[in-house]
Amino acid sequence: MAELTDSRSRSRDLDKLLLRPGNIVGKLFEPGPELRDDLREYARVLVVGAGGLGCELLKDFALSGFQKLEVIDMDRIEVTNLNRQFLFRLQDVGKPKAEVAAMRVMERINGVEIVPHFCRIEDKEDDFYSKFSLIALGLDSIEARSYINRVACSFLEYDSEGNPFEETVKPMVDGGTEGFKGHARVILPGTTPCFECTIWLFPPQVKFPLCTLAETPRTAAHCIEYAHLIKWGEMHSGKAFDADEPEHMQWVYTEALKRAELFGIPGVTYSFTQGVVKNIIPAIASTNAIISAACTLEALKILTGCSKTLSNYMTYNGLEGLHTKATEFVKDKDCLICGSGVLLEMDTSITLQKILLPYPCFTNSAQFMNLLGEDPMVLLSKPTSVVYMGNNLYKMVPPVLEEMTRSNLSLRLFDLMDKVSMGVVHVTGTAIKNDKKNSSLWKIRVVFKGMVDGVIDMDLAGGA
Amino acid sequence: MAEPRTKYDRQLRIWGDQGQAALEKASICLLNCGPTGSESLKNLVLGGVGSITVVDGSKVEEGDLGNNFMLDESSLGQSKAKCVCAFLQELNDAVKAKFVEESPEALIEMNSSFFSDFTLVISTQLVETSMLKLDGICRQANVMLICARSYGLTGLVRISLKEHNVIESKPDHFLDDLRLNRPWPELKMFAESIDINTPDPAVHKHIPYVVILLKLAEEWASSYSGCSPSTREEKKEFKDLLKSRMTAFDENNYKEAIDASFKISTPQGINSNLRQIIDDISAEVDSSSSDFWVMVAALKEFIANEGEGEAPLEGSIPDMTSSTEYYINLQKIYQAKAEADFLAVEQRVRNILKRIGREPAVITKTSIRNFCRNARKLTVCRYRLIEEEFNSPILLELQKYLNDEDYSYAIGFYILLRAVDRFAANYNRFPGLFDGHLQIPNILSYRGMDEDISRLKTIALGILGDLGCNSSTLTEDLINEMCRFGGAELHTVAAIIGGIVSQEVIKLITKQFVPMSGTFIFNGIDHKSQLLAL
Amino acid sequence: MRRGNLPFKHKFELLPEGGAHVIGKMIKLFKVKEKQREIAENANGRAPVRKQSAGELRLHKDISELNLPKTTTISFPNGKDDLMTFEVTIRPDEGYYLMGVFVFTFQVSPMYPHDAPKVKCKTKVYHPNIDLEGNVCLNILREDWKPVLNINTVIYGLHHLFTEPNYEDPLNHDAAAVLRDNPKQFETNVKRAISGGYVGSLFFQKCVQH
Repeated sequence: MAELTDSRSRSRDLDKLLLRPGNIVGKLFEPGPELRDDLREYARVLVVGAGGLGCELLKDFALSGFQKLEVIDMDRIEVTNLNRQFLFRLQDVGKPKAEVAAMRVMERINGVEIVPHFCRIEDKEDDFYSKFSLIALGLDSIEARSYINRVACSFLEYDSEGNPFEETVKPMVDGGTEGFKGHARVILPGTTPCFECTIWLFPPQVKFPLCTLAETPRTAAHCIEYAHLIKWGEMHSGKAFDADEPEHMQWVYTEALKRAELFGIPGVTYSFTQGVVKNIIPAIASTNAIISAACTLEALKILTGCSKTLSNYMTYNGLEGLHTKATEFVKDKDCLICGSGVLLEMDTSITLQKILLPYPCFTNSAQFMNLLGEDPMVLLSKPTSVVYMGNNLYKMVPPVLEEMTRSNLSLRLFDLMDKVSMGVVHVTGTAIKNDKKNSSLWKIRVVFKGMVDGVIDMDLAGGA
Repeated sequence: MAEPRTKYDRQLRIWGDQGQAALEKASICLLNCGPTGSESLKNLVLGGVGSITVVDGSKVEEGDLGNNFMLDESSLGQSKAKCVCAFLQELNDAVKAKFVEESPEALIEMNSSFFSDFTLVISTQLVETSMLKLDGICRQANVMLICARSYGLTGLVRISLKEHNVIESKPDHFLDDLRLNRPWPELKMFAESIDINTPDPAVHKHIPYVVILLKLAEEWASSYSGCSPSTREEKKEFKDLLKSRMTAFDENNYKEAIDASFKISTPQGINSNLRQIIDDISAEVDSSSSDFWVMVAALKEFIANEGEGEAPLEGSIPDMTSSTEYYINLQKIYQAKAEADFLAVEQRVRNILKRIGREPAVITKTSIRNFCRNARKLTVCRYRLIEEEFNSPILLELQKYLNDEDYSYAIGFYILLRAVDRFAANYNRFPGLFDGHLQIPNILSYRGMDEDISRLKTIALGILGDLGCNSSTLTEDLINEMCRFGGAELHTVAAIIGGIVSQEVIKLITKQFVPMSGTFIFNGIDHKSQLLAL
Repeated sequence: MRRGNLPFKHKFELLPEGGAHVIGKMIKLFKVKEKQREIAENANGRAPVRKQSAGELRLHKDISELNLPKTTTISFPNGKDDLMTFEVTIRPDEGYYLMGVFVFTFQVSPMYPHDAPKVKCKTKVYHPNIDLEGNVCLNILREDWKPVLNINTVIYGLHHLFTEPNYEDPLNHDAAAVLRDNPKQFETNVKRAISGGYVGSLFFQKCVQH
């Protein structure tokens, strides 16, 4: 069989990577035209965010052999986007970012389909996220990253040895920039750290003490935050401050200026006021381009194996000279979001009461001991609460919650978990680790005996 | 309409109006507008660069549509420069966009004066011979040059210019200049005016740490025959002294004082970086000296005279726990000293200008003030000619890279990027690029590929040999990969290289932040990219 | 436990080291999946997962470990399944504020404990460190918040404000000045405010324990 394309092909350059075998490639890399075609046909990528990174990501994916893309963003285009979000023009201001971005890329690149979603990420069901081969994050908030990470990790399942089932792994690439600096990272849930494992990488936002604002302001930022956090509430009984409302911003600016003059503090400008109140992060096109392209390149490598991949966090800093660094972070095996937790097989007849006894049924059962066998030093001795999907099944403290949940004690856990064959509960209690008592929170994957095999049989019968 | 300012809001927060003005005055020439070049310009056009000139002699082919967003179906068969230029213009109508439909190689050969009108030239995808020639031309004409290359999963960026001076280097972390190791009379007087043993707890916890440190350092000195804490033990003792004066556990000013206590015993005088600059031969100025070096000469005199060994005071102080009144007064004291230092430097600048036969007022007050404020952060960047680097690299560095595992891909790619150009010079194509041929999928069994690999290896070993190095680090794997790349210009790699180019262009043009030094080798395999200082 | 107990999974050979087994095979997996789309993966038996944020989970732990002072109670206005919003009521048993009842609202974000809980005083109170809008000047709620702290620490911090109001870091300037210059007057003012009445021109709603 001949290589199907020659130099006249649109995938002239990409083919070198996808059609030719190499020496420094993924273990299971199978080069050939089929790989290229499969990438077009089966790789579905969701780009989260159609801003500075999102615009670049869409372009990069569309020019890297991907043809099925979707993009989600709840924002509309603003004038301040135009210095970097190259898919938007002045006349687009006010239109939904996702829709304009998708349209612009499809206009220019034949064969690419981009489905825009002009909505909040929380508005979509899990099914929506589950259909993608990979999720690319172009976001500027850690809340949104945390949310998508949570969704992606919720698909993850582990076998009894604690290894992730690979078809439940939803890979992510994530980028972030600030001025001349940025990061690109690869998240393979269950293998590399998830967003939550390394949330400490994000420094907390600087917050001034309220009494400094009220009593001893020294800087322009103090005056602005006084107007924003204290004076606004005093003067607008109950009306919430809206940073996107120019009149509100103007009010804060004027008040801040008055205060600064009162104390002899220089530096309050309208622009600075906006910066402080909206926590504006400076952004430029070049850094977004670098970071997004690095993310896309990694996505291509993850899905095709055409080269080694970044392991697993790259930083770029162009502020003083040029520094890049790849750091291999390790995942937190106790992470509540991506960790495997403890697998626990249970009888459907067990009541909540039994689980919560000081020595619950399963600590005596060989089964449970066996499950914890990987780490015999860990024992949960005194559960005090059980939560299932956000529902408090039981809370021993505080009394007010104990009262509200007491009636569940006599119910079967199986019923409380809506008769699912398996599910995750979180249990808090005292754990004994290395002879020390610690209060902890456990993720427990409950599997009900006798349920699962039955379902499998049914399923197989259906499929046959 | 306030649109332009608003449009640039997010970048004005980085480089300010001055930086933006410099950008809007700049004229940039791009050689070759494949994805690497197009992406570099895209980022600059969005940022509002003054004018761009796109030089490319080729016509748009089908393959170009697969890696360049600036081209589409309608561009096929047309001038690539024209099409890219048109798209770039669409991004920002404030930018003057021009194109020249000619091959850069031809321009370099035939029309070297073409380049002298530009602020900066970006060369992309030029092979070694043309690049070296262009470097000579630009150096001669005093035009800044950035060379960029995307090649498969690797690439490079190299700045070439004689000298670049940065006043506003705006480093991320830089120790403030509070002069606690050497307080001047007004500052001492201010400290003396404050009773740090005040019985009022509200006052006690709002005395700025600058005052606490000055007073307790003095107290310390009086019992240690005038010395400041120097040994580890003494420093710890001093911290304990600070701690003992706290009257409540929540006195943040004392916590800040403890954290900053090292500032009373930092060495006096200027840092080695600034020493090097004032001792530079260029600081001996004459009528041909640039304003920068005239100011350095004045700075040098200042340090030797009024400054008593110190640079001019910056005058700004960090925020610290304090009552508003103390803080504002402290601020005024620092500003007054900074202003006095500035006036002294200004006087010296005027005198020097007169001495070298220039108009004394030619350098503005604003420039001199800005220079003084940044005196400790001045940066001078010089770049060798690329040809010099190629002919006589710094062997010590080269040896280090060849023996350091962290650099093995980077140095390998550095050699191989040169090797592919020599390959191309010999065989009129890049290794692994079999134009027009249909190829069987298992390309390693393909004789042509094997042949290319062995040829490339020979060339690469030759380059290493010429440099007097042995070849053990140049792995077969890397040579194979280089042939597999077949000169491909992947969009993502081009966007990364192009993005880096635009960052560096912005730094050079705004004269803010420090541009990269050495040669940046991109490693798209595992992102362990490196800067090579050869 | 046998792997067979987990439903619907193809059995792949897993390679030991990190990620290598996934990379490069991904696209094949999706091809397989795409073709089997009709054999719904999430059919019966599996719970639809309502994703709890790490913040929510951590809050569960915090709540389960609460060890409140006797003077303090907690309540959950949105019922037992929404812990992210709750109220803490403090009834000081000593000091200036003895006999008063003060309610604080807590709003916990999904980014907890990376972000501090947002706390406001719902009861209008005459207090040097709490302003009339209910803003509270407590270092651990803002500049000194750290993820190792928890809800219990915050509640103790609030409690402390009532036993030892301080005038050095005022949010209510007037109250602080009175506390500093004339503690007796301050005591009178607090009493008046708690039992419902005017302090200067400001009216305070009655908030006395029964």
